Amino acid sequence: MLKVFKYTLIDLLRNRFVLGYALLLLAIGQGLFLLEEDPMKAILSLVQVIMALVPLIALVFTVVYMYDTQEFTQLLAVQPMARRSILLGQLLAMCTAMLLAQAFGLGLPLIAHAPGSASLMLSLSGSALSVVFVVLGVLIATRLREKARGVGMALVAWLLFVLVHDALLLALLFTLSDYPIEPWIVPLAGLNPIDLARIIVMLEIDLAAMMGYSGAVYKNFFGSNMGMLIAALIMLLWTLIPGWGAIRAFQRKDL
Amino acid sequence: MKNGIAIDGLGKRYGRQWVLRDVDCAFKPGEVIMLIGPNASGKTTLIKCLLGLVRPAQGRITIGDTTITSAAAPDPSYRARIGYMPQISQFPGALTIRQLLEMMADIRGIAPGALDEELIEELGLRDQLDKRLGALSGGTRQKVSAILAFRSQPDVLVMDEPTAGLDPVTASRVLARAGRVRDAGGIVLITSHLMEEVESLADRVAYLQDGHLHFLMPVREMLEVTGAQRLAVALPRLLAQAARPAPVV
Repeated sequence: MLKVFKYTLIDLLRNRFVLGYALLLLAIGQGLFLLEEDPMKAILSLVQVIMALVPLIALVFTVVYMYDTQEFTQLLAVQPMARRSILLGQLLAMCTAMLLAQAFGLGLPLIAHAPGSASLMLSLSGSALSVVFVVLGVLIATRLREKARGVGMALVAWLLFVLVHDALLLALLFTLSDYPIEPWIVPLAGLNPIDLARIIVMLEIDLAAMMGYSGAVYKNFFGSNMGMLIAALIMLLWTLIPGWGAIRAFQRKDL
Repeated sequence: MKNGIAIDGLGKRYGRQWVLRDVDCAFKPGEVIMLIGPNASGKTTLIKCLLGLVRPAQGRITIGDTTITSAAAPDPSYRARIGYMPQISQFPGALTIRQLLEMMADIRGIAPGALDEELIEELGLRDQLDKRLGALSGGTRQKVSAILAFRSQPDVLVMDEPTAGLDPVTASRVLARAGRVRDAGGIVLITSHLMEEVESLADRVAYLQDGHLHFLMPVREMLEVTGAQRLAVALPRLLAQAARPAPVV
């Protein structure tokens, strides 16, 4: 696994798309800090951009890379090495490449303009999202044979997480506003890793009030150490379950 | 290699479509098999089944002492004896040839040695070792693919259209190398549409059509039966003569 990881990472770190992604994040981060006088406002704007952009890039890049390296993956599968090791090596390399690009593009402006716990939380949440969506991308690419369908499914998944889930959640909260639904708010947030990441960062910036009554429930739950631990566990599950599914599918797949 | 390759009742289907059906044959150590057939006849699927890339729907493949189609996934170490030269050679574009050779040596647990140097020299890749694979022509990538296939001195060598994209001199060198694998007791399986290129090397010809193995016959016998001098002439005559499939030899 480490051999596949090492050489896939070397390939990815020279990949123009990864370099472009790092530069794009750097331009957005630096631009927002230069435009806003208050660093907290810049971070707030950055949260909205990162929560949409990072999952999109991670998903689409992973799916495209997996399909583009299909012939080489076949060649690896003919070597004396378990398929699980091949996929894990590729998966780890893609996660590492995305995280390094993010550390460079997002980390540098955050350290330069707003060092502190809010920046740290934004970086950690962004990193968690990168990993979750790389794993989801690998799952899509291992389950669907055609590249066009894979990319289409990646875009649908992104739309579901970024727009549809929020819209459904709002509709639900509005419709059931007369009922005691607070016990359901937190589990519903856990169903969407992007929402979860956004809530954690908002709580750190102390902008839970912006989220109204739900914000109070989130603050009550995720504001404690136990709440944070549970949030981290949910993110871990969002990585492990699709990752397990991808490995299982890859082991049975006709290459 | 002691026991060769045995294929019993092999079948593969995608959905309801059978692409291979009831394939029974055996390949002996020290022979070159030329696998031919029209497009979509099942050649690539048969090769992929042998390589463990595709799971058969039925039947069994045994390579040496290892049954690779058993319910439990076989220990992948048997693949150390297999060399594979695919029809399309795609590699990570940002790696250099040198890095790719190092990677594959790492994976196979072999140290780059004299054979590597010999192959690099023979295929004329010495000056290109530090070029990125993404910048190489299709023919040069095929040469890299040939080095990867030959360098571990395989017992089973599978070559899918090995001469496609290669210049005539390199093509003949690659085929000569395949002959050496046979001479060392290995099994060489070649698919090619260019029969005249491979016929001097092949010991037997396997003809697939619509997923069925129509015949597996020694080249000499094919020529004798049809009275032809060349395989390209013998094959259509044999197919025309055959009112029913000839027995598998």
